[in-house]
Amino acid sequence: MKKQIGHPLRWLLLSLGLFIIAMSWGCGARPEPIALEQARTIYHQAVEDQAVMQYAPGALRDAEHVLKQAEQAWQSDQNAVEVGHLAYLTEQRVAIAHARADNKAAEADWQHLTQEREQVLREARIQEAEQARREAEQARREVEEARTKYEEATKQIAMLQEQLGILQAKVTSRGTVLTFGSVLFAPGKATLRSEAFHNLYPLVPYMREDPRRTATIEGYTDNVGADKGNLDLSQRRAEAVREFLIKNGIDGERVVARGYGEASPVASNDTETGRQQNRRVEIVLPK
Amino acid sequence: MMVQCVRTQRWLASVAMVCLVGLSACASTPRPTGILSQAEHAVREAERSKAPQYADLELQMAREDLDDAQQAMDRKEYVTARRMAERAFVEAQLAEDKAIAASTREAADDLRESIESLRDEILRASGSR
Repeated sequence: MKKQIGHPLRWLLLSLGLFIIAMSWGCGARPEPIALEQARTIYHQAVEDQAVMQYAPGALRDAEHVLKQAEQAWQSDQNAVEVGHLAYLTEQRVAIAHARADNKAAEADWQHLTQEREQVLREARIQEAEQARREAEQARREVEEARTKYEEATKQIAMLQEQLGILQAKVTSRGTVLTFGSVLFAPGKATLRSEAFHNLYPLVPYMREDPRRTATIEGYTDNVGADKGNLDLSQRRAEAVREFLIKNGIDGERVVARGYGEASPVASNDTETGRQQNRRVEIVLPK
Repeated sequence: MMVQCVRTQRWLASVAMVCLVGLSACASTPRPTGILSQAEHAVREAERSKAPQYADLELQMAREDLDDAQQAMDRKEYVTARRMAERAFVEAQLAEDKAIAASTREAADDLRESIESLRDEILRASGSR
């Protein structure tokens, strides 16, 4: 009898025991969800990352907190869905820590680059100053050169003036202009005075010295007498000077003669002194 | 045999109790209003930040999870609502932080580029003399 009753009961108890074992121990031995393992790995990688540890310790603590919640959730009731959820939150928190560390690193770069930019700008300013200095030096040299040239020209004029006994010599935009007064011609005449030779002759070596040199001879009169007569006289006087140069071996091609009559007075024709200044021959020697 | 039967019944009763306690715990899950409003706030903040420009994917995830949380709330599925709100909350934060990092990085890159072109300019200027 004992055997008959005991047999099914024993089976019942055995299966119940197995069920309880399966419930309590079987579940406990269940392997951890992959999500939890993964979250832990990701968290530990972040902890080992120097930049994250340094720049985002707060965010990392938040991640650790959620990871612990996930681990506790697994140990206490093994709710795989809740554990998976907390593991996901852990990963997101770790990602936040990485983002904050990235931002800090970028900020540090930006700071560094700002200084670098300052440095480059400083260098540029130094270079600009150097350039300005060089340009100023160049300008100074040019002024110096121009002054030397001017002095040479002035000296040459003084020499010519002395040699030619001319009224006036000046440097204009057209070149050096030599002005001869009554020394060349007798009043109303268009033939050179014999003394004029001494005044004009220095032009001959000057023209010979450089075959590229040219001369323009311009005749002017005062306003006394007929216009046409004055024009004609000034033209013939200019021609006479040109002929003089040709006779002394200067190529006629290099010398132009023009009469302007009463045009372009240099002084008033109302006074004798003024009229005397207006009666003149100008020899233009282009630069 | 009788004693054993009673013991078995006690076992079953205790198992049932545990289940009942578990179920009642489920039934009495509080409405996760706190985390939901936190998540709503976080998503709004992220939308106002540079996230739409620099971290749109993360922002989109936060929006979708917030939407799911609100729908679960309407269905009175409070556990799901809490989880979705928690997800939306961190996702919104991540979107914002990623966007901040990306825009800082962009500013640094722009600065680096401007320095390089400045250097080129200086080099050309000094080379041409």
